[in-house]
Amino acid sequence: MVMLSQLLRFRIVDEHGAQAKLSDLSVALLDADHPPVTCLYFVAAQRQKCSIRWEKVRAVDWGNGVIKVDDLGAADVESDQSMAKAVLLAAGILDAMVLDLQNRRTTRANDLLLEEHEGKLLLRAADTGLGAIARRLTRGRFGPVLESALYDWTYVEFLRGDPRAVRSEEGEHLRITRLPAGEIARLTDGLPYLHAAELITLLPDPKAADTLETMGPARQLQVFEELDEVQALRLLELMAPDIAADLLGRLHPLTMRRYVEHLSRKQAERIIELLRYAEHTVGGIMTNDLVYVCGDLTIAAARDKLRVPLRNPDFVYFVYVVDDEESRGLRGAISIRDLLTAPDEKKLEEIMDPYLITLHPLEAADQGAHRVLDSHLAALPVVDDDKQLLGVVTIDAAVAQVAPRSWTAQVPRIFS
Amino acid sequence: MKNSVQREGLEALDAVDTAALPEAARPIKPGLRINVRGRSVNLRGMRKPPKGILLWFAVLGPGLIATSAGNDAGGIATYSQAGAKFGYQLIWVMVILTVSFGVVQEMCARLGAATGRGLLDLIRERFGIGWALFAVVVILVANGGVTVSEFVGIGAAMELLGVSKYIAVPLGAVFIWYLVIFGSYARVEKFLLLMTLVFFAYPIAAIMAKPDWSAVARGAFIPTLNSDPAYLFLVVGLLGTTITPYIQIFQQSSLVEKGVARRHYGTERIDAYFGAVFSNLMSISMIIATAATLYVVGQREIASAADAARALEPVVGSAARVLFGIGLLGATLLAGAVLPLATAYAVSEAFGMPKGVNLDFRRGRVFFSLFTALIVLGVVLALIPGIPVMKLLVGVQVLNGLLLPIILVFILLLINDKSLTKELKNTRLNNAMGIGTLLLITTAVLVMIGGQLIEWLGQK
Repeated sequence: MVMLSQLLRFRIVDEHGAQAKLSDLSVALLDADHPPVTCLYFVAAQRQKCSIRWEKVRAVDWGNGVIKVDDLGAADVESDQSMAKAVLLAAGILDAMVLDLQNRRTTRANDLLLEEHEGKLLLRAADTGLGAIARRLTRGRFGPVLESALYDWTYVEFLRGDPRAVRSEEGEHLRITRLPAGEIARLTDGLPYLHAAELITLLPDPKAADTLETMGPARQLQVFEELDEVQALRLLELMAPDIAADLLGRLHPLTMRRYVEHLSRKQAERIIELLRYAEHTVGGIMTNDLVYVCGDLTIAAARDKLRVPLRNPDFVYFVYVVDDEESRGLRGAISIRDLLTAPDEKKLEEIMDPYLITLHPLEAADQGAHRVLDSHLAALPVVDDDKQLLGVVTIDAAVAQVAPRSWTAQVPRIFS
Repeated sequence: MKNSVQREGLEALDAVDTAALPEAARPIKPGLRINVRGRSVNLRGMRKPPKGILLWFAVLGPGLIATSAGNDAGGIATYSQAGAKFGYQLIWVMVILTVSFGVVQEMCARLGAATGRGLLDLIRERFGIGWALFAVVVILVANGGVTVSEFVGIGAAMELLGVSKYIAVPLGAVFIWYLVIFGSYARVEKFLLLMTLVFFAYPIAAIMAKPDWSAVARGAFIPTLNSDPAYLFLVVGLLGTTITPYIQIFQQSSLVEKGVARRHYGTERIDAYFGAVFSNLMSISMIIATAATLYVVGQREIASAADAARALEPVVGSAARVLFGIGLLGATLLAGAVLPLATAYAVSEAFGMPKGVNLDFRRGRVFFSLFTALIVLGVVLALIPGIPVMKLLVGVQVLNGLLLPIILVFILLLINDKSLTKELKNTRLNNAMGIGTLLLITTAVLVMIGGQLIEWLGQK
């Protein structure tokens, strides 16, 4: 067990007696839960930065702080570009912002704990305590290692703050992907937006899209604009159309147009449809990602037919019954519960709830939202003058619309 | 961004009719956003949109906030002292400072937008723990000093209103501490801001006192040098109170908190310059008002808040004391709350200390103790009996002026780091003006220290 602050005072000595001071170490960050050290860096003559692979290390004398290698002269010369690609412990991770997943907060790596294990030197934990700061300031003379301040690296995510950083490895060791999307979004609130954008680029697309959806609108826009356009487009494709439309509506019109033109036809049409309505109307808060089916089908046929359409939308509690799928004239609604429990041979028309309160897309959003809340239903359908089903206003959109503004003042702001 | 969509992997799919798309980008509507995913409900929101008179505040943006923060007890004391002691002679410093202040503010805003991080964070990440600790000490000394001056200001304001400072200052401290820790601060803040509106009486007073405008113009555009050591002392005080290290940190963090991203950085630039011009016009009007009322009648020393209040007499007559007291109380309570809060927040952030992700930042131990310690320090020092109030206030601003070059060097180094700021890097003009400001301030500080040393040696 060795702390990075101590390790950085080690010397590298070779067979011929040549020596150099260890200046940094690089790790293969996403290779394992505890990333192994890959290279040792030192400054050779003429201020040349050099590296030597960890495999070349023959022995380490921990007590005297000496790392023995075969030949220092055989080290690779590093350029600034190659240094920038490596994940360096001292230059990169030390002092940087890290996400601590166990305590769900951001913190800083005041020191790093490494451990030798089966010939490899592994990055075990980040020390976030004040002791680590004292240790570094007193050059290791004082500064106890507190167990409670050590965060196991398995549960620590390190981000560089550069969304365009090239990562060669796959991010399968990202523990953060196992958290629910909403929680990831909340965690990223404590991060600078460039770090948050980098995290989004590392997440698998579906998770990234979900996370982006749950972010606050300002943060969402900040992060989205830092993404590579190809990835941004992939995420837009996966996002709920109402949230994607809200997001796109805030971009520069030309940028928005370019994105919409490159989306799949289905998603693009949904988004265009939603963007036609002003934000203060029911149309502006509805979603048109919903499930509808013809009324003349039997329950069994409907179940069969809906297997695919029910897969993606966020809102699936109600299936809307229409007279035909082209004109989408609304006739009633049926809950998923009824769809699952009703006898197979019954027709949808027989068990659907024919009475529906509906909203008009040009109605005021506040009024529509209140009607959703008053109805105590999960959503109310939105239909136009021809009774064509356009979308639904879900309970969450309704609450967001009418929630007392005073709640919003609860978020502490210090500087603005 | 342009053309990049034409890259591989982004071929247009089926052509869709985009004619129905809106023509302008929609603004982000402040409010609450709730997402129901399964059973979890996330509340996340933004501050409520301002209405009425507060909308006017919002339009003026960070500029006005910076002004209110700048025109605290120390600011008023220093500007009044400058006006009373040297009449219109020192206005030229403020004219130059307006440019410098704008440049520095804009750089901080840009740094905040480009990196999404606060100043102490960046120092920690770029220069390591040693420099970060050094910067933290500088900030703590500077802000600790200003905090003390705010509590001195609370005492002085309440004495103008007829309450003993030995009662008023501890009460004010408890009030501030309670507000911030148990959190209805956001609501009270607006009330305090309204109280500071009293200071808009200064520009009116400056005109109604019928100053000698030709003397004002001469003072503003012809730099004069004075061998009086107090002159240089006040110049550094003016530097320190106008370009306070604290305001730099505040400016950068406010951009970060507002969520201004680098692609949208633009109007903030104007905001920063506007804020600088606006706040310095206020300061200049304070100097003119004091010069036209006190300097001309030969009262060259301002010993107490009551003396400073006399500058408002041309506008409000005998109510000057009370009104000045109200304005000063609002300004000092405001700054007395924001300063320890922002300092504790920035420091605990730079050290990665627990401050929670969202609402529970108050529970962080380091945050909590720093905040409390700053307030206690402020109260204790402000209550030392027989303390020369005005001298202390100006002295703190001089201390800020001394520490200012250190912070400026950090800002200049960071803003020129291309890996951090990318396309928002300093231009040559920015750098010339930034370095010019740094040289100007450093020279003033060095000359002042030299002068004080000579004086001190002469006395021995």
